[in-house]
Amino acid sequence: MNDPMIPSLTENVKATPADLAFEAKDLRKDFDDGRVRALRGVDFFIGQGEFVAVMGPSGCGKTTLLHMLGALDRPTSGSLLYCGKSLADLPDPAVYRAREIGFVFQSFHLLPTFTAVENVQLPMFETARSASERFKHAVSLLKFVGLEHRLDHFPAMLSGGERQRVAIARSLANDPSILLADEPTGNLDSENAHLILDLLIHLKRERQMTLVLVTHDPSIARLASRTIQMIDGLIVANTPESS
Amino acid sequence: MTFFTIIYRGLQRRPVRTGLTLVGIAIGIAALVALVGISRGFEQSWASGMKARGTDIVVSNMGSVLAPKPFRATVRDDVASMPQVAATCAIFVDLTGVEESSMMVVSAREWGGFSWQNLKLVAGRMPKDATEPAVVLGQNAAEVLKKNVGDPLQLESTELTVVGIVDGGALVENGSLILSLPLYQRLSGNEGKINIIDVRAAPGMSPNEVKQLCTLINHRIPEARAMLAGEHVGNSEAYRFIRAMSWGTSLLAVIVGVLGVMNTMLMTVFERKQEICILMAIGWKRARIIRMILWESALLGMLGGIGGVAIGAAGVKVLETLPAIHGLLEPDLSPRLMVMAVAIAVIVGVISGLYPAWRSSRLTLSLS
Repeated sequence: MNDPMIPSLTENVKATPADLAFEAKDLRKDFDDGRVRALRGVDFFIGQGEFVAVMGPSGCGKTTLLHMLGALDRPTSGSLLYCGKSLADLPDPAVYRAREIGFVFQSFHLLPTFTAVENVQLPMFETARSASERFKHAVSLLKFVGLEHRLDHFPAMLSGGERQRVAIARSLANDPSILLADEPTGNLDSENAHLILDLLIHLKRERQMTLVLVTHDPSIARLASRTIQMIDGLIVANTPESS
Repeated sequence: MTFFTIIYRGLQRRPVRTGLTLVGIAIGIAALVALVGISRGFEQSWASGMKARGTDIVVSNMGSVLAPKPFRATVRDDVASMPQVAATCAIFVDLTGVEESSMMVVSAREWGGFSWQNLKLVAGRMPKDATEPAVVLGQNAAEVLKKNVGDPLQLESTELTVVGIVDGGALVENGSLILSLPLYQRLSGNEGKINIIDVRAAPGMSPNEVKQLCTLINHRIPEARAMLAGEHVGNSEAYRFIRAMSWGTSLLAVIVGVLGVMNTMLMTVFERKQEICILMAIGWKRARIIRMILWESALLGMLGGIGGVAIGAAGVKVLETLPAIHGLLEPDLSPRLMVMAVAIAVIVGVISGLYPAWRSSRLTLSLS
């Protein structure tokens, strides 16, 4: 699944017994010198190729958990393994993010001064692709999400659904094995929300990706193979759901 | 899209602020180009003036003022008696206000000395003898003073007559008022005094031998120092002061530019905090973020430098046309100076970007 032009982080890692993508033990995260306890000791695992929804009310620690998985933040204590390897011990988390992770955010987080095709190329600067290869790959990804007619449009010229599709194309730029989506439909109308969910599920199936999706919408969570329910920094339920 | 597209877009993000920063750097670099160009040009003008007169060595006592200090006229005889010396010409040079001009080179030359030989008459004639109350004017000097052949000219308290207009082959010569040494010694109250001896070395002497002759003259003459023609101005205390002032003023202007770029880049980093976090979230290394900020500030410096060179060169050209200094300035606007100015601007840009780049690398990843 990984970009063939960059060596995989997992090449030399032995598969864990259940082919786990992530495994967390007593994972804790404090902010503001311990005054805010976002994660209060959570244990969970996510298998490779699994679609897991993380649910809970605002401020329950969903996004913090997602940021931990993406190595955007480090745990205060506890362990978090990716394919058996501690994320806290990564020599350069940027390499892990570039090679293994694709992020999709609620607010799209596209750079406003770059066109759709340029936004999709941005993650590829940390790979060995040439400028023309970056461009061709970005065009093919935008075609994949149905935006071949919006290549040169700036984010301000795109609808919310189109922006999220560009963001999804960007998240796939380095062919990651993990897709982390933080409320990807939160800023979209129902029609566009369905389109984006269909696209994510299609991606997961076609590319055998591990999909971790943060949502507070039970109807979206039901699409996942498993739901992790969080309240106040704790996992209160970890239930299989019918997909 | 290349990495430089990203850098260019970064600067395009706030065009007004980028433009104002560019103007700030450009003004600093323009000041540098103008001041350093003028001071270097001054030195080079004297060097070319000496070359036009066929002078190999200048014996003078350059003190803390632009005109050299006077010494005994008999020193010339001591120098002339040396076997390695082919010819000498005693001169009294002054920088003084003459009628409308606030500063003009007055060059009083030993009557019959070789320093008269390079002067080509454009109009009129040369003075008849050493005592005739007459002057010849370089072409630029005549233009600045608005004098023609036959016009009276007030020098010190004496009225002289302009008898000729000459082409001296160099800006300093063409901007000078030239008269005989005895006449000027008398009217300026400097009888028996000179302040420059032009020396021609014996034919066939190598540059090294000419340098050795300078050393010999310096041993023999305690009153003055012999230097290769052209170098005497550059080594004078006054010129060093001017040069230091030029660089000092330029440095101040450049420091203002540094602060401007640093402020812009810091604002950029703070404003683009989320953008930088997004780039890191999608896999950009901190080193790449640092490079992006440094390249942006370097590009600002380069563009400001190019603008500054253009403004500085244009400003000097305008200065040259001003009546007060027309004919006195021959600024050095050589490609070397311009490349140096742009290089300084780029270095300024990089230095200004160091702190903002460091700040950008310390950002906590937050995408809320």
